[in-house]
Amino acid sequence: MKLKELFDRGEFVISSEVGPVKGAIPRDPDFVPPCQQEAQHLNGSVHAINVTDNQSAVMKLGSLAASVRLKAKGYEPIYQITCRDRNRIALQSEILTAYSLGIDNMLLLTGDHTNLGDHKEAKPVFDLDSVQLVRIAAELQEGRDMAGNPLMFQPDMFIGAVVNPNFQPLDLQLIKMHKKVDAGAQFFQTQAVYDDRVVDEFIAKAEAFGRPIQLGVVVLKSPQMGAYMNRNVSGISVPQAWIEEIGAAAKGDRKKKAAEMTGRFIKKHKSKFQGVHIMPLGWTDIVPDILAHAEIAPPRPSAG
Amino acid sequence: MHATIQKPIEEIVNYIKPGEKVFVVGCNNCAWKCHSGGEEETTAMAERLNRRGVEVVGSTTPGQRGMSLCKLDHTRKVLREDYAEQIKKADSFLVLGCGQGVHTVIDATDGAMVHPGCDTIFGGETVSDTDINEYCSLCGECVIEFTGGLCPMTLCAKSLLNGPCGGAENGKCEVDSERDCGWILIYERLKQLGRLDLLEGYREPKNHAKWSRPRTLKVSPHEATFCSQAGKRTVSNQD
Repeated sequence: MKLKELFDRGEFVISSEVGPVKGAIPRDPDFVPPCQQEAQHLNGSVHAINVTDNQSAVMKLGSLAASVRLKAKGYEPIYQITCRDRNRIALQSEILTAYSLGIDNMLLLTGDHTNLGDHKEAKPVFDLDSVQLVRIAAELQEGRDMAGNPLMFQPDMFIGAVVNPNFQPLDLQLIKMHKKVDAGAQFFQTQAVYDDRVVDEFIAKAEAFGRPIQLGVVVLKSPQMGAYMNRNVSGISVPQAWIEEIGAAAKGDRKKKAAEMTGRFIKKHKSKFQGVHIMPLGWTDIVPDILAHAEIAPPRPSAG
Repeated sequence: MHATIQKPIEEIVNYIKPGEKVFVVGCNNCAWKCHSGGEEETTAMAERLNRRGVEVVGSTTPGQRGMSLCKLDHTRKVLREDYAEQIKKADSFLVLGCGQGVHTVIDATDGAMVHPGCDTIFGGETVSDTDINEYCSLCGECVIEFTGGLCPMTLCAKSLLNGPCGGAENGKCEVDSERDCGWILIYERLKQLGRLDLLEGYREPKNHAKWSRPRTLKVSPHEATFCSQAGKRTVSNQD
């Protein structure tokens, strides 16, 4: 199901995120891979699940294989694809392949640089940038490839893109967001935001683009994680107040505390967005609790 | 200019077989600026090789300072006329210059054995006696009219054409916190110039065929022809 249907009827769209395994999926039909285990925690709490594409440039099972697996089990995947590892031929072919394998939603990103990952000596491709990729995905849906050749059958998917409200200068990020809208982006997910002012300054300008935006939140698990993100994770800043609050909770209570803090933040800002994208970094089991704190009614279960 | 940096001496010595007689050639332009193959470094390399038991039959940096090794007719004349005797004895040439210089020595010697003494690292601006910075990737399709003269192919780690990724932090690139985000540099410059309008609008993907190798340029006083996998492009420099 395309998320478009949900946005169009005014649903507050809830998504979360899982990462494919470092390894293959065994042939044993009873084996449940970790990303599927995580998805099970999300069943009934979210409308859709992002599946990351070699996130942070760490080599893993492909996002398409994991997306197809989740789809087969009744979940709604948002297939992520980045420009880092594929040239324009591979990117277009992957989009056609994804549609052909039943994928309805995709999120098109630049991708973290190879230098951040576990294969630092790899050749970073970046043949296209994310704006160009969005345009090309939109053109494929119109029935032609980027060289202008007609397609025998065209894909039909819901095209998502990413924007970072933390970026300074914000105007430069908004110029790019504008380009993504013009190129054919149908919805947006934001990078992780923690700061109220960042949310407000961003949404005041971004809502003019008239595309549904999901507020992105990353669950803060510990004060160490906050400090680590401030030091090492590009484009994200965690305010000191967040770090102190999670740090004040005993270690055994941190899942509960993290759910409360994340839920409170979402509750405060949910009316400004058309949905939320919760990145739990493995703590998928607290997503129902986060939504309860955010006072968001969960959608009906989709998978068994 | 082509920036070069010398290979480690142990690596160079390993290239040379026991008993092999070597002639050392430097470059009095780019490699001189990089202290990788000017007169001093070329003479020093001959001595360093001697100390490690390599027989060096001669050395030169053809021409005055500012003369490039990659100017074939000049290099050929110098090697053949001024160093004819030494060259006869040489089994191979160690070149302290860029890859173009290495090939120039192949051409100038009608195909002698060559060893690269440097790694060719980028095309750069000689900002000062101590700093050489890369501002151009030699991609064959210049887009800097729209970016205030700053090249996103070069200054952005991902060579993005439509603006920055989301990864910059405090104006620095996600790849290296010491390195400026190229797109923020472009934005600040255009802002200062009052030309932020140049950032609007879609920029097409690069034609990488213009970057396909090897490429050639045929020149005359009146026109030039650039050949790449994108085809031949002949341009007149006159009305």
